[in-house]
This record gives sequence, C-alpha cells and structure tokens, in this order.
Amino acid sequence: MELIFYICSGVAIIATLLAIIGTNPMHSLLELITSLLAVGLIFFTLGAPFAGILEIIVYAGAIMVLFVFVVMMLNLGRATIEQERQWLKPSAWIAPALLTLVLLGELMQLLATQPDDHAVAGGAIVGAKAVGVMLYGPYLLAVELGSMLLLAGLVAAFHLGRSLD
Amino acid sequence: MNFTSDSWIALLPILVTSVTVVATMLAIAIRRNHKWNATICVAGLNLALLSCLLALNVAPQQVTGLLVIDKFALFYDVIVLGAALATATLSFNYMEGYAGEKEELYVLLALTALGGLVLVSATNFVTFFIGMEITAVSMYGMIGYPHRDRRALEASIKYMILSAIAGAFILFGMALIYAQTGTLSFNQLADGLVSGTFAASGLLVTGGALIIVGVGFEVSLVPFHLWAPDVYEGAPAPIGGYLATASKAAMFAVLLRYFVESRAYESALLLDILSVMAVLSIVVGNVLALLQQNLKRMLAYSAIAHFGYALVAFVATGAFAVEAVGFYLASYVVTTLGAFGVIAIISTPIKASDADTLYDYRGQFWRRPYLAAILTAMLMSLAGAPMTALFIGKLYVFAASIDQRLWILVGAVTFGSAAGLFYYSRAAIVMFQRRRWVEPFKAPRNWTFQAGGMAVITLTFLMLLMGLYPQPVMELIKAAGLHAPQAGNLALNVLAH
Repeated sequence: MELIFYICSGVAIIATLLAIIGTNPMHSLLELITSLLAVGLIFFTLGAPFAGILEIIVYAGAIMVLFVFVVMMLNLGRATIEQERQWLKPSAWIAPALLTLVLLGELMQLLATQPDDHAVAGGAIVGAKAVGVMLYGPYLLAVELGSMLLLAGLVAAFHLGRSLD
Repeated sequence: MNFTSDSWIALLPILVTSVTVVATMLAIAIRRNHKWNATICVAGLNLALLSCLLALNVAPQQVTGLLVIDKFALFYDVIVLGAALATATLSFNYMEGYAGEKEELYVLLALTALGGLVLVSATNFVTFFIGMEITAVSMYGMIGYPHRDRRALEASIKYMILSAIAGAFILFGMALIYAQTGTLSFNQLADGLVSGTFAASGLLVTGGALIIVGVGFEVSLVPFHLWAPDVYEGAPAPIGGYLATASKAAMFAVLLRYFVESRAYESALLLDILSVMAVLSIVVGNVLALLQQNLKRMLAYSAIAHFGYALVAFVATGAFAVEAVGFYLASYVVTTLGAFGVIAIISTPIKASDADTLYDYRGQFWRRPYLAAILTAMLMSLAGAPMTALFIGKLYVFAASIDQRLWILVGAVTFGSAAGLFYYSRAAIVMFQRRRWVEPFKAPRNWTFQAGGMAVITLTFLMLLMGLYPQPVMELIKAAGLHAPQAGNLALNVLAH
C-alpha cells in the first residue's frame, strides 16, 4: 500500500509541474486532470474512498465542463477541426497518458486486493456513511455556512458576469 | 450535538444576519427597487445588532464545537455589524446614480457581515476558514461592483488573486498543524500547547508561520501589503471603508483570541516575528503614505501603519492585549469609516471615478464647511491628536510599549506618529485653500438629511465621545475580556484614571 501511495504522489507532483510549466492551456488542463486523479487515488490508499470519489467527480468533472465550454466557444467549423488536429498531436497527450496509465495499473492492483482496515495508511476505512454522520452531526453549522459561502460566490459571479449592456 | 434554547439565542446575531441575506435576495426577486431592498437589508442588520443584546445574556455559549459566542465575540460582532450598517447607509446615496442593478450590493454586504460574525466566534479551523472565505468572496463582488469601471474590476481581480493565495497559505498551515496534532479545535490546540502535550515541532512551527503569513496578507501587514493601495483606490469609496475596517478588524480579533488563549505571547520567537512585522508596517506604511497625492491610497498606507500600531499593542501587552487592542481597533474602525464616509459623500452619486486626489478636496471647506470639518476631525484622529479617539488608542500603545521597555517599538511608533501628523495635516490643509474654478466633486447640498450623512455625523460623535470620555468604552472592552491566564502587571490601570 505504501508503494502505491508513493507512486501516486510522484505522479501527482510530475503532473502538477507539467500543468504549471505548460504553455498551452488545453495541455495544462489534461495534466491537471491527471494530477487530480492521482490525488483521488491517494485518498483511496489512505482509506477514504468517498473523498477519493468526490475528488474525481467534483474536480475532474469540473474540468471536463471547462473543456465543453472551450469546445462550445471555439466551435467555428473548419478552423476548429484544424485546431483539434493540432491538439491531438502525440506531444500533447503522451505525458498525461503515460501518467494515467501508471494510475490505472495501481487502481487495478487495488481493486484486486481485498479491502482491509489494516492495509490502508490511514488505519481505518472511512466510508460515505461516516462522512455523512460527521457532516450532519458536529459539523452541521459548517455545512450551513458552506451554503452561505456558495451563495456569496453565486451572487458575486451573477453580478460581475452580467453583460455590459 | 444538542441545541438548547440558550444556544439558539447565542446564535441569534448570525441567524438574523443569514435571514437578512435570504430576505434581501427574495425581496430583489419579487421586485427590484433600490429603496425597499436596501431598507430590508438595513432593518435586518439593525435587528442583528439588537439581538447581540439578547445573546449577551446567555454568553459565553459554546455551540457545537465550531463557534463560541462569548463577550469578546459579541464586542466584535457589534463592530462588524455597525460597520456594515454604516456602509449600507453610505452606499445607499452613493449607488443612487449607478446605471446598472444596484440591489445585489446589499445581499453581498449582509453576506460579508455574516462572514465577519463567523470569523470572530470561530473556535475551530473549519469555521475560521469558512468565515474568512465568506468575507472574501462577497468582498470580490463588492469591490468590483461597478464592473463597467476598469479600475474597480482590476481592484477586484487583484484582491481575489491575493486573497486566494492567502487562503491557500492558511489552509496549508492548518493541514500541517492537523498532521502534527490531529485536532482542528482551537481549544484542544491551546490546551495541548499550554500543557505541553504538543511539543513545538517543525510541522507545528511551519504551520503557525504559514497561518501568520496568510493573516498578514488579509490584514495587509508589511511585507504582505502590496495589494492594499491598489484595491482601496479602485474600490467604491463606501466599500473601501468596509474593507479597511470591519473585515480587517474581524481577522485581527481571531489572531488576538488565539494569541491570548493559547498563551502564545509567552513564545519569544513569535513575539520577535510580530515585532518585526509591526516595525516594518509602521515605517513602510508611513513613509509610503507621505508620498501619496491620492487620499484613498494615503488611507490605505495609513491603514497598514495603524495595524502596525495595533500589533505593537499586541506584542507589548501580552495577557492584557484584549483591552489595548480592542480599544485601538474600535477607535480605528470608527475613525476610518468616518473618513471613507466623507469621501463617499463627496463622490456621491457614483461617477467615473471617486474624489480621491488631494486636488479634488481643494477648497471643500468653503463649499461644505461641516463636511470638511468632519473629515479634518477624522484625519486628526488618525494622526492621534488629543481629544480624538485614536489619541487614547495611541496612549495605550505608548504606555504599554514603554512599560515593557520595547525601545525599538517605541521609536517606530514615535516616528510613525510624527510622519503621520505631517501627511494627515497636509490632506486637511488642502480643504482650507482657495476654491478651484471648476469643482467636479460637490457634496449634495442636503447631505446632512441623507442616510449616509447621518451615518457620518453619528460616527463623528462616537469618535469625539471615545476621545473625550473613553471610560464607558474602556469598561465595555474590559468586560468583554477573554479568560486569559492572569500574569504580570501593567501600567494600563493608570490609564484608566
């Protein structure tokens, strides 16, 4: 389990570095997804599968939405096809693909082994139910205040993003 | 987790403010009308202010390990809500001339007040962080509110990026501290530190340092101050006033609470770091303020210097910091809100830019003598002239640092006060010079009868009251003290007479 943790961490660090030094935003987004997948897998090895899944759904999902936005905005016909052909050069996807391949191998390895409280680095497996009990127990106020935080973001974004006329 | 009726009463200020947020938003959805939407927000904030009195009866009250409503928190609740009310009334007249939708400002204002309330009662890293983020996120929207104006938008983006970085620093610091101690609760952390269960390891010290960096960003202490002047200059004047006062004071209150409760003032290393930051803030803030021709930028640099003075009070008074810093912050908030209030009134209604260069203030005395007199009084208070609120505040700072023989700090405060007297007077004198031929900025003739004008007049009376008869406020702050471990003696009792 520890070995998997270290490999994941290495993948996360390399992918994040590549995301930062990349000059093409699309390439950086791909690297960022890889990095988030690696962090999700780290949560698995720590014994928090729920947090791992959330990491992937929320962050990687959000970046997929960003992709959709970019595709929507740039959807201008022939020029777009040229653009996408450029994006699909091996130099763009080879690094993230290799890194995700490592992660995939690790995930297979994890799925093949039986879940065991002693195997995970965190000492115990924390399932979705335990997270829910904490959120709606001692941290109830934090959840409510979190909704206020989202409201603040929503109102601010709604106002600032309004068109100028 | 069990809620008794007492905990509901203790939570009333926070609950009422949350209800105000939702009510204002629904009111906008039902009918867009500047006056009626603003009235709902102001009424709600007033109710929240009144509910502090109810909460006082049941304080101190620990609510679910995340928030504690004690007298200390309620004192800062009153400061935050009072500042939000003043900002709401000032914005009402100021925003009248705004072409776009004006109403969302009040939702954001109530939200940022809510963030401040959460922040000052936080007793857990979770609520600390959420309170900070609620304040910051609603602040982005308010700073960039006139988003046709490029300067406001630029200020908003600058504030967003830097406050996000500060948030990242704080979050990483929290993670390191949690990794070492396994607790997010401030109380457990403080107990562990005091009893020595948690040894001062590398992780703990690094985590604490990262949190200090983040807090330094938020209250703009040198060397983390670079954002302040640009943001204050670009933000609409009433919002700039709120940013300079309530949101910083709330952050400082958190620092103060855990500085005292965890007896961090016994750590020589921490005191050294804070002293260096204090001296740098005072010197750099005042020197850069000297060079400004822009009143808002000058106030930004002076805010940096004033938080340096507050930090001196902090370092010098140790266990008594609550009283000295509390008085200093209260008088600073009243004074600075007043100064920004006058800027807002002179810039009312909103134009392409606010009245911010000193040249815009030339001859204002001959046009609106009372308004100019108020600004002069506020500037003199910031300079620490006798009979004003900050004179008493500075007296605390001087007495405490001389008492502790912190000569470098005394020297910095002296230097800062001398430089401050020069640039504040310069700004005041401009108003008494001959009038300009063309006056782009004129306060409305009936400003005394407008909501914003009344807020400024109230602030002036409050400021003079705190300067001439500080006893009641001092008593109030003393009563709002934390249950700090008693130690040492201080000349502060002398001051009370």
